Amino acid sequence: MGRYILRRLLLSLVTLWLLVTIVFAIANVLPNDVGRTILGPFAPQESVDALNDRLGTNRPIFIRYADTVVGVVTLDFGDSYITNKPVLPDLMAAVARSAKLAGLALFLTIPVAIIAGLYAARRRDRLADRAIVLAGVTSSSIPEFVTGTILVVVVGVQLKLLPVLATPPPNADIPTQIRYLLMPATAMAIVYFGYIARMTRAGTIDVLQSDYTRTAAMKGLTTSQTMRRHVLRNALIPTVAVIAVQIGYLFGGIIAVEKIFNYNGMGQTMLFAAQRKDIPTLVAGAIIIGIVYMVATLASDLIIAWMNPRIRLDSNS
Amino acid sequence: MDNQYDKVRRSTTPLQLDVVEAFARGRLSRREFIQRATILGLSTGAIGAVIAACGGSTASGTAAAASQAPGASAAAASVPTVAGGSIKVAIQRPAGPNDPIAMQDLGNYGTTAQCFEFLCALDKTGSGITQGLAIKWTPNTDGTVWTFDLRQGVKWHDGKPFTAADVVATMKRLVAAGNAGLKGVIGPDSAVAKDDNTVVVTLLGGNGNFPYLVSCFNPQSLITPVDYVSGTTLDKRPSGTGAWKLVTFNQATGATYARNDDWWGGKTPLDATEFIFFDTIGPMVTAYQGQQVDALVQFDVLSGKALFDDPNFNIIQTEAALHRQIWMRTDKGQFADKRVRQALALTFDRPALIQQLFQGKAQIGNDHPIWPGYPYFDGSIPQRAQNIDKAKALLAEAGVPNLTADLHNGQLLEIPDLAVLLKSQAAQAGITLNVKSESLDTFYGAAWCPGEPKDPPCSGASELGIVDYGHRATPDVYLNAALKSKGIWNSSQYASPTFDAAFSEFQKSVTVDAQKAACTKIETILNDEVPIGVPYFYNYLAGSSKTYTGIYASAIGQLFLSSASKTA
Repeated sequence: MGRYILRRLLLSLVTLWLLVTIVFAIANVLPNDVGRTILGPFAPQESVDALNDRLGTNRPIFIRYADTVVGVVTLDFGDSYITNKPVLPDLMAAVARSAKLAGLALFLTIPVAIIAGLYAARRRDRLADRAIVLAGVTSSSIPEFVTGTILVVVVGVQLKLLPVLATPPPNADIPTQIRYLLMPATAMAIVYFGYIARMTRAGTIDVLQSDYTRTAAMKGLTTSQTMRRHVLRNALIPTVAVIAVQIGYLFGGIIAVEKIFNYNGMGQTMLFAAQRKDIPTLVAGAIIIGIVYMVATLASDLIIAWMNPRIRLDSNS
Repeated sequence: MDNQYDKVRRSTTPLQLDVVEAFARGRLSRREFIQRATILGLSTGAIGAVIAACGGSTASGTAAAASQAPGASAAAASVPTVAGGSIKVAIQRPAGPNDPIAMQDLGNYGTTAQCFEFLCALDKTGSGITQGLAIKWTPNTDGTVWTFDLRQGVKWHDGKPFTAADVVATMKRLVAAGNAGLKGVIGPDSAVAKDDNTVVVTLLGGNGNFPYLVSCFNPQSLITPVDYVSGTTLDKRPSGTGAWKLVTFNQATGATYARNDDWWGGKTPLDATEFIFFDTIGPMVTAYQGQQVDALVQFDVLSGKALFDDPNFNIIQTEAALHRQIWMRTDKGQFADKRVRQALALTFDRPALIQQLFQGKAQIGNDHPIWPGYPYFDGSIPQRAQNIDKAKALLAEAGVPNLTADLHNGQLLEIPDLAVLLKSQAAQAGITLNVKSESLDTFYGAAWCPGEPKDPPCSGASELGIVDYGHRATPDVYLNAALKSKGIWNSSQYASPTFDAAFSEFQKSVTVDAQKAACTKIETILNDEVPIGVPYFYNYLAGSSKTYTGIYASAIGQLFLSSASKTA
């Protein structure tokens, strides 16, 4: 297991390097004038040239690339072109905001979706199963920004039950923060319910039809004992993998929800950095999102290996 | 009253007298007179005396309303108010550092203007100027030297006294930074401190509009301390003389301010303000509807439709010189022939554009950037109206009966919709416009004024496009940068010695008659040669909940809250 983890970590470093290179290339190779983008189209050319000199954006590309790689290794991503402040503290604040929103969304959806998937699988082809499948397909077909907009208009504006802006006041306590995040988290939870419930249902049906499940039943185990000891840990393996991938997306890909609720998570931060050619923030943000993906998938692999000992044995051999 | 009038005439400078005489002889409307007289430093009392002597009322609508200094009282409210409380304002996220000297975006204009102040403040009509850090300004006979008497007893937020040295240092910094409004107007040593409370500014040439250039209409001209270093940002060094002190600033979320108890204007009715940053207008509107913000610094008609129907929302509407220019290359290509440019302009159905895009909240344009609100605007130039038959005839005469062109535009506010409407209007005359809507980065970088070729500037611009222009208190920037030969933003590559001469005449003119005469020439030339189509000047829209009163706004993203209070 130790070798497995070490191998995965080394591969992660290679992946991170590739990520840095690709993001750098996209940000620097395409036509752009960083100074002009920051100062706007009406700024005097002298000001633009002075800014480009100060930021070093007119240095040879290989020097800038080397600087970027060194910065990643030393965790010194430099200063933002927009704020002139170190990139990392603002990005970590954005990560924290995204983590809260993602955490609440997953907390809302995972238990409900898994229970629904298990329930549907045990009542396959009956009314409950069809209803849950239909609900899952419908909820995952509607984009989260559509759900979010409906929630804002109905729950926030017309009924005034929850705040329409997701950013809580500074130093807000946890219940207050949850109240502010509830609507965007619900919008996301509705979409992911479909994915997770259907994956759980499929995995459970597959395991219920297996020989060892039939053996367990014939041995005299009750249904709940069979489900707990034999079905769950095997049925949830694909679900765990799906959740891991969704975690990465929840951190960096929910720009639409963040825009609707004016919540400055990683998505908005990265979009703003891309629009403003804030390359240090772009590179640092891409690294962080990459690390989130890697940690999430590594964690899911470890959980899956724990759930299924055969995977551990295969990797050791 | 006549004695007072004579007293005014005897005590004014030649430029001020020129304005007084122009009003007395009916060459200026009352509004124009108030505006011009205020710019030239005539006092409130003098303005009132002249109006009264000429048979006008000195009640509301006179200088008193136009010139009331901000913070003098919360008397803008005719409703009962309560002291205390705070207000939450939705504002565009600052796109760069909040450096008062180098900032270029509306988000920063609005946030820095809470702490710093201008020599000439915005009056409560939103389009004129009044006393700010300067309580009086006086031009010499030809407008080449301006003397500013500074307000006394003003302190910086750190307790140090505000003096003429701060103003002189600010002017130097602005010149060094290449401030667009002051470029070519003053030099690095133009401002001199006569004493601690008086600054004398010697201009590079006569300019009757100089006070506008040291007002909120030149947003970077905020007065900063004598020891301020260019590049310093407000959040790194909170400072200012204004009614509000910066408490917190977070680029991601917003800024909070607390009352400045030592403000020269007295105690503000509100205790604190909070500015919340947004990237787009839609969430601002829903935030207001969800009662999470109380005011919006700016919104547009299309995004803010729900606000117009909200009986509890007070719309602050300011007629402004905000406009779109439909440039056409005059040096080469299909639009090099004036007849083709005129033909396209004749397809514009301007009232329909104004109604569909702004629900009537705009003023009609006549293919030149002289806004009807400028005191030297000449409305006698015949208004160009849609005339499809004439457009077709001109195209046939020019030998291009079936013109096809790409119409480039950036994705900003109503501009993509304008492009689509122009396409359908132009089609009536047989002109096919292919709308090319691009992100702003791409549009500005590739279609409007690409970096290459550098000389002449903007010579890489596309044949036809739509570009946006913000409000300016004087048209100098529009005329100089966008239309003068080799102007830095001259996307139409317009090069007309006649126009250049008329513009030069306008720049040098300081009397009412001279400015109007020069503007008449400019309007006539541009309306005839049509290097740009200007279908409208749209109104600036801001607003707040009716639970607040005393809020006023400039057309450049600044909301002034020193008089704001909650209604009882």
